[in-house]
Amino acid sequence: MMPPTASNSEGRTLIDALLEEQRALTAVERFAQWHDTQPHTSSMHRALIPLSAPKAGEQYAFEVDLDRCSGCKSCVTACHALNGLDDHETWRSVGVLHGRSRNSFQQTITTACHHCVEPGCVDGCPVLAYDKDPLTGIVRHLDDQCIGCQYCIFMCPYEVPTYSAARGIVRKCDLCHQRLAHGEAPACVQACPSEAIRISVVNQETVRAEYRPSAPATVTATNSFLPNAPQPAITLPTTRYVSAKPLAVDLVAGDSHEARLQPAHTPLVWMLVLTQLGVGAFSLLPAAAPETQTKLSAVALVALLLGLTGSALHLGHPQKAWRAFLGLRRSWLSREIVVFSMAAPVAILTTLAVILDWPLGFARGLIWLNATLGLVGVLCSGMVYHVTKRECWRGEHSIGRFFGATALLGFAAAWGISSREGALAFAIGLALVTIIKQARELAFLRRCPDDADLDAELPTNILARSAFLMRFRVGVMVRTRLASGFLGGIALPLVSLLPISNHQLIAILGFSLCLVGEFIERALFFRAAVFPKMPGVST
Amino acid sequence: MSVVTEKTLLREWTGPLTEELVLQPRTFGLDRLPARLQPDATTTTVCGFCSTGCGLNVHLREGQAINLSANASYPVNLGMACPKGWEALTPLRASDRATTPLLRDAAGKLSPVDWDTAMQVFSLRFKAIQDKCGADAVAWLGTGQICTEELAFLGALGKFGMGMVHGDGNTRQCMATAVTAYKQSFGFDAPPYTYADFEQSDVIVLLGSNLCIAHPILWQRVLRNRNHPQIIVIDPRKTETAMAASQHLAIKPKSDLALLYGVAHLLISNGWVKSEYVAAHTSGFTEFQEFVRTFTLDAVSAQTGLTEGEIFHLAQAIHRGKAVSFWWTMGVNQGHEATRTAQAIINLALLTGNIGRPGTGANSVTGQCNAMGSRLFSNTSGLLGGRDFLKAEHRETVARILGIPANRIPTQNSFAYDQILQAIAEDRIKGLWIIATNTAHSWVNQASFRDLRRKLDFLVVQDMFHTTETAQMADLVLPAAGWGEKEGTFINSERRIGVTRKVARAPGAALSDFNIFKLAAHYWGCADLFAAWTSPEAVFQILKRLSVGQPCDFSGIRDYHHLDAAGGIQWPWPGGENMEADETIAPARERRLFADGKFFTADGKAKFIFESPRALPEPADEAYPFTLLTGRGTSAQWHTGTRTEKSDVLRKLRPAVIYAEINPSDARRLGITPDSNVSVSSRRGALVAQALITSTIQPGQVFIPMHYAQTNQLTLGSFDPYSRQPAYKACAVRLERVRRTRKVIDE
Repeated sequence: MMPPTASNSEGRTLIDALLEEQRALTAVERFAQWHDTQPHTSSMHRALIPLSAPKAGEQYAFEVDLDRCSGCKSCVTACHALNGLDDHETWRSVGVLHGRSRNSFQQTITTACHHCVEPGCVDGCPVLAYDKDPLTGIVRHLDDQCIGCQYCIFMCPYEVPTYSAARGIVRKCDLCHQRLAHGEAPACVQACPSEAIRISVVNQETVRAEYRPSAPATVTATNSFLPNAPQPAITLPTTRYVSAKPLAVDLVAGDSHEARLQPAHTPLVWMLVLTQLGVGAFSLLPAAAPETQTKLSAVALVALLLGLTGSALHLGHPQKAWRAFLGLRRSWLSREIVVFSMAAPVAILTTLAVILDWPLGFARGLIWLNATLGLVGVLCSGMVYHVTKRECWRGEHSIGRFFGATALLGFAAAWGISSREGALAFAIGLALVTIIKQARELAFLRRCPDDADLDAELPTNILARSAFLMRFRVGVMVRTRLASGFLGGIALPLVSLLPISNHQLIAILGFSLCLVGEFIERALFFRAAVFPKMPGVST
Repeated sequence: MSVVTEKTLLREWTGPLTEELVLQPRTFGLDRLPARLQPDATTTTVCGFCSTGCGLNVHLREGQAINLSANASYPVNLGMACPKGWEALTPLRASDRATTPLLRDAAGKLSPVDWDTAMQVFSLRFKAIQDKCGADAVAWLGTGQICTEELAFLGALGKFGMGMVHGDGNTRQCMATAVTAYKQSFGFDAPPYTYADFEQSDVIVLLGSNLCIAHPILWQRVLRNRNHPQIIVIDPRKTETAMAASQHLAIKPKSDLALLYGVAHLLISNGWVKSEYVAAHTSGFTEFQEFVRTFTLDAVSAQTGLTEGEIFHLAQAIHRGKAVSFWWTMGVNQGHEATRTAQAIINLALLTGNIGRPGTGANSVTGQCNAMGSRLFSNTSGLLGGRDFLKAEHRETVARILGIPANRIPTQNSFAYDQILQAIAEDRIKGLWIIATNTAHSWVNQASFRDLRRKLDFLVVQDMFHTTETAQMADLVLPAAGWGEKEGTFINSERRIGVTRKVARAPGAALSDFNIFKLAAHYWGCADLFAAWTSPEAVFQILKRLSVGQPCDFSGIRDYHHLDAAGGIQWPWPGGENMEADETIAPARERRLFADGKFFTADGKAKFIFESPRALPEPADEAYPFTLLTGRGTSAQWHTGTRTEKSDVLRKLRPAVIYAEINPSDARRLGITPDSNVSVSSRRGALVAQALITSTIQPGQVFIPMHYAQTNQLTLGSFDPYSRQPAYKACAVRLERVRRTRKVIDE
């Protein structure tokens, strides 16, 4: 039974009218006027911020009453809405600690920037884009100064700075310093229905004394900052987590069982491997036969320059990177950039000297200067990661690894370029370095038990967990890396020594395999990095 | 504190990127905001997620919402909001909004059609079914998520206009138990409290309620209590609320009825009864006293798994408290004997005279933003205004007020949700209209609904999103405007009527539910019945007339402006003789019922109602040795996630993958490791979830949040016999470790 035709045309008219009505917004005319006269509410929350500004040696800090935090997460969304953050951007997060013992227990944890006494971000930034305010202690990020190198993300133990690819910079919590300056509470403080977050004034020396006690005997296994959080001695976080009841001892963070792969940072992989190839090859120039030197320096120069260009791709704002010298006093990244910036012209001169046959003494001086600068550059690269105090990246795992790659790729390049007669020493050197390097990498992988599988509980030890990630999450990469390293760095060098073989072809193949192997090794260095973090929730 | 703002060659303290986060001076009483979000006007609205009913300030620019914040002057939330409220505008911008009607074409695909075609098909197909199988062969399933005016329009259109007999709403899944319990005990569905009661108690008993997560803003009210209240949480799980309580009774699942009778027995046998109150204001005490005699301490201890000391302490705390309030939510409502459990709570309040005074009450905390509007005006289980379809005088009153023939009003009660589905299974209902709910996700024993779809000749789904599990099954999808894109009122848990506003444009050709009902009436040919139903505010005036003389009388409210100025008004607020609003008398900000001890029953007394506890319909056994509990996961999730999943921020605040909480001892026994996959199966279905190993769940129990699409594949279709509410809270399941082993690499 169709409605009558008349009704249809009427229907259409009605539809048009309703659609038009739907589009009209009436709230302003009908209701807004009255609300425009509402009084301000800035006097609320006064009790949750300090009455007076910090004195010398003091600073503002978050104080979280764990007995009041019940995990509603309003703080996260209010900060997001009132600070006008991007759709997916959050400056605060809420995690949970679960009890595993028989006494049932859980504790939700709200966390943001800890405005540390010795902030890792401030120390790491190559362009002074962080400022720890001398009066308030608030760690501010200068968005227009940032070059988007993201090194602060590595330097912060608390995952605070977050990178926006669209903006090409990181941003972070600024403790709502603009609100505090007017005697108003930060967004999260205002928005907590439980009044669990407040701003307090803390003494910086007290924080230092608590987390870095002078008598080592007083250092205990428990983390007095917060159980399961990164060690507070690293940056001296100022947030105080307070509770009237002691937290249970056997706590596990909500996300502690996640085996999460980290971003690959391809430009950094590219930069590290190629600069190390360049430095390694340049360093072997004195040992190379005169006829090989030209080719070797050319290869080294190309690698070095490609590597340095590649690193610029990592930056959100490369045009501002000229300021990288500003952080020299504190930042190893700044030092790395400055040293390599000096190394690059020296490398060009060195290559010219070799190719154009400049006077021997002058050329030799350049060669040594160049090699020294390059090796200092590699040391800086290693220190960049070492000083993050992430266990996966400390000492042997960064500095050792980088010098290993420098030697390995240097030998591989020299071997690949030399004639059969000149290659012997390089081939043996390559094989020896590869054996040592791969042995260390295998030893690292063995930190994760052989019988572990995807259902097994994740190792709690950081290095073992990184090894677990390598073996069970990116096993193909690991196998490819080991195979190409073995072939290119051990098998082929030995084969190339046999008189029957086509030396040049094998050597070039071997060099390529070594290079591939080191690229993968360095990608794993980032992908499988595991580090302590604030308790989160399972995702 | 000085903010250095100079720009030097070496250090850029200012610039376009810095500018984005520079906060402007305060305007409109709002907080400081970046320039990009600076409003040119503001308005208030009531949140459209849960029944707390928070007031929000919407920040407008050129009439459009650009942001919002919590309203500090609204009496409900006092400047606070939960994550859902803060993110309420975000889902409106989602890319999967339904923007045009969609009709399933010959190829079986949902294709865009215009409204004229859609509504002709709507009317043609439903009428064809009614012609063939009878008027009652078309039914609707509604919601607690749309405005009261819209619910009333739907109910009146469905029953009086289109001749349907059966309609129900998703409120059946959350509040039906409270409705039934209050109706039977108090004579009307009348939650007696006001939120200030949270602040005025000295003993707060929370039953089956994880207030911290499900109603964070009500937990705020608990924390504002200056009496250092004793907070007792009765819940099988050590929830966030249980952690924050002074005492947690980790009761065995669904043994609450026995516990409450046991406590009643202790109160009576120790002489801790307010005899004067019981004598003056209640009926049935003698029988009740006799009935609870068998609920001795040792028997109840054995049934509940609580120690005798814990139970005694609870009774003692209730006795010693000067103002004891009892609050319950879904842990009670979604049980197999839920109505009697709710009434057992009411009984404790009556026994101890804890009702009608500040800080007291047997208080059901509601679920959805407008469950209370639905309870009064959806015209489903009750006739408009809390009336009875079976009573001729009620039908005549309604007919008179609406100016319609009384014979248009059905003389029989509507089927409940489960009965409507049963009737589909039995081919008695062939056409179904689903409005603003996601049955295919949320209904118990999910597979059963999916089977039923095949039995329907015509399924219409009206929703904001064309991607919901239910919309995807529809023959016709009607695109609806959402909260924030239309005007109307919601009624919150404490009976407060608040206004929600149109602050955003609906996408494409989406229309408000109100306007869709208007179109439906037109195409059905019954628009003349609804000539007066021109706008939501016009319908609000009709609803006022329908409330006159009822316990919920709110005829003293003038209009939306009155509600706005007063910060919402709780019913009852009756007008004068001619329903005049006397605005010289402002309603108190917080009002509770039954201060005079007069209830809405015929004799004015509240009734003790009780019944022997029954065993769980599906207890854990050898084959299915675990008890599955379901419920709210995080405060960032709402129901089936059709809205909350559309916000990047809310998605960050909840686990993306379905998870099952398992006790460490069970995990150890079954070889289940943290974060590994575990298969959870019931007699109805199976799912794979990530294991969350935590001591907050007791051995032998598993908890899975309800928000994940798979959860209800497991749940059991068992219902409270009085409220017909599904028992989501307990069924038997089996756990198995799922191996996904890959062997170690060869080195």
